[in-house]
Amino acid sequence: MEHRKYNRKAYHAADPADVAVSQAIFNDMWELFVQIGKFWGKTEVVEDLRTDLLVFMNNRIAMDPSYLYDYKNASEVIKELIYEMGEEKGYESLFTDKSILDDPPTTLKARARQKVSNEFIVLYLSLGGFKDYGAENSLGYIGGANIKGKTPYRTIDK
Amino acid sequence: MKKQVDILIIGSGAAAASLSQRLLEKDPNRSILVLEAGIKVPMKDYKLYQDYLVTGTYPYQFCEDLNYPSIFGNGENVPVGGNQLQLSGGRAMMFGGSTAHWGGWSFRLKPEDFQLYTNTQIEGTIDWPISYDDLEPYYGQAEDYIGVSGDSTDQVPPRTTKYPFCEFPYTLEDQGTIEAFEKLGLDYAHMPIARHGISDTDSPHAPCKTTGTCKYCPFGARYFAGNFLDEMLKYGSFPNFEILQGAIVDRITMSSRSKATGAVYHDKFTTDSHTVEAETVIVAAGSIEAAKLMQRSVTPEWPEGVGNQKNNNLVGKNLVSHPFVYWEATLPENPQRLQPEMDFPTFISRHFDSKEQQPFGKFLTVRLNSFSDQFNMTTNNQVSTLTKAMQTGLNREEIDAVTTGPLNVQLITQVEVFTKTSNYVSNTAPNVINHLGMQETNVHYVPDSGFENRLDQIQTLLNPVFNEMGATNFRKASDSIRADHAACVTRMSDTPETGVVDKDLKVFDTDNLYVLSNGSFSSLGAINPTITLTALSLRLGDHLNSK
Repeated sequence: MEHRKYNRKAYHAADPADVAVSQAIFNDMWELFVQIGKFWGKTEVVEDLRTDLLVFMNNRIAMDPSYLYDYKNASEVIKELIYEMGEEKGYESLFTDKSILDDPPTTLKARARQKVSNEFIVLYLSLGGFKDYGAENSLGYIGGANIKGKTPYRTIDK
Repeated sequence: MKKQVDILIIGSGAAAASLSQRLLEKDPNRSILVLEAGIKVPMKDYKLYQDYLVTGTYPYQFCEDLNYPSIFGNGENVPVGGNQLQLSGGRAMMFGGSTAHWGGWSFRLKPEDFQLYTNTQIEGTIDWPISYDDLEPYYGQAEDYIGVSGDSTDQVPPRTTKYPFCEFPYTLEDQGTIEAFEKLGLDYAHMPIARHGISDTDSPHAPCKTTGTCKYCPFGARYFAGNFLDEMLKYGSFPNFEILQGAIVDRITMSSRSKATGAVYHDKFTTDSHTVEAETVIVAAGSIEAAKLMQRSVTPEWPEGVGNQKNNNLVGKNLVSHPFVYWEATLPENPQRLQPEMDFPTFISRHFDSKEQQPFGKFLTVRLNSFSDQFNMTTNNQVSTLTKAMQTGLNREEIDAVTTGPLNVQLITQVEVFTKTSNYVSNTAPNVINHLGMQETNVHYVPDSGFENRLDQIQTLLNPVFNEMGATNFRKASDSIRADHAACVTRMSDTPETGVVDKDLKVFDTDNLYVLSNGSFSSLGAINPTITLTALSLRLGDHLNSK
């Protein structure tokens, strides 16, 4: 009976094949991720992180299929903001507008901020974005093992 | 249908896992059945790890107690008569037990802890019927089993073996605290922490990769009993070792006052009732559930529940746990941009966890993560100042100001409190069931009247530390008494007049019923109990193996 579909490991009832993110939406989300780095970082986001972002998005969708719609919504919100304000100001508005932090979010822009942009911030920092702010390790960053002489965080002796 | 096994173990936490390991090392064919009331939550799952990273909600949170009922909503369990002990957040009722969420702080008791009554003469307290020297070899074995990283040169308390993995060096955040302790002549040390390190053995346990999300480690580098049990089932070649989940034990069965015959349990999903017969019965549930099970196990020879002697009914009494007290002060600036780089502390002090302080309530001191004064951050929250600043929309310049500006520094103290028979746990009515299908708990814990004075004394002792650090506005940020370290409710003693189990953890007047939980501690000391519990488990394993 192990082969039966109903025995598959599942977080929800949706068929994984029906909830895959499209290339177009992923490209928009990658651009959002890059813009997070530009707005807050000193160093540029490297292409290598594309895979990390895709894995992250697919994991979020696998946990909750509504993320598929949140990513689609974020893509549309960003397009509108850019159309209205230009690229730099559009992203700045999404990142800094303090009127869209109500919990739960009540507008599509607020939802794009809280369910997508703010989650990408956590991912961005956990993939090394924190290093622009002085630390060697951070919460969520896979810093490495405790090896003498190569301690993966700032110590007194360094 | 009845099952028949050599050994029945009730509960699947650190005690059950380490005891099973020790028993099966001696005889791999031994039949052992573990009954676990909770269920298995996936571990080392990257989706769940990322969800924890983003939301701060760990996937086994539903296995913890709900809050007490209040005007704000439904809850569970019954706080009786001014109770101050919180069950919510203190324990995890699941496969692997509370090691799912423990911090891994792996302190040994000190020699004086085993002689609490002799040293203090405090009414209601007792000495342990064993000494530190009796347990010392097992402490070393427990540290090997759990996988503790620690400083092997630290002889407080004395040790004859090395930790299996080297200590984690002090972080840069520790520097100010260390300088203050040195100026004041106070002892400090490295945190002994249950994180696997690099090993040249064929250990299946991954080393800690300092990911900083310890409550849900994606690698299983922090000891979790469920992972160890899984590995025993997968790789152990133990043909008669079995674990049942969702098996809620209703009562222990006895054929006479001295002879336990097994237990009756029900499947929480089907509600079907089952009987297990066993040569030896080990109650290895958490303290509270262990005591409640014994109270429920009423027989003609044990009319108040097994283990309850006629004249004292001690099962469930003498409840203690640790008050966690958070002390905080503010540094005016943070030019090194100090921020948490790990999810566990590296600096500890047992200076006040001493024989001199024992009569007043000795205490452990640990430096916790610091955080920006601008954000009201709580401890053990995986959201960093940087995350919070970016998510609330501060720009680069504003974040630079925040990360270099005033910094709140924190110490936490765990204070020893003393047993009193008036503090207790018991079962609610049988039909009052919690969200996990288990009978709810009546809990009554009221600290000694002098406890607030003790907190004032501790504040006075710690004030110079913060002064030396140059921090101001020293304050008690919060204090709480949670059930994380609930203990002593089936305590070990020389005599049934003052305890429930003997020095071998066997229930007085029985031949084959043992209680292996923090409940069997004679006193709690000022430290986290898991390493001591594991040492007792291995010792019990040797005792049973020698029979």
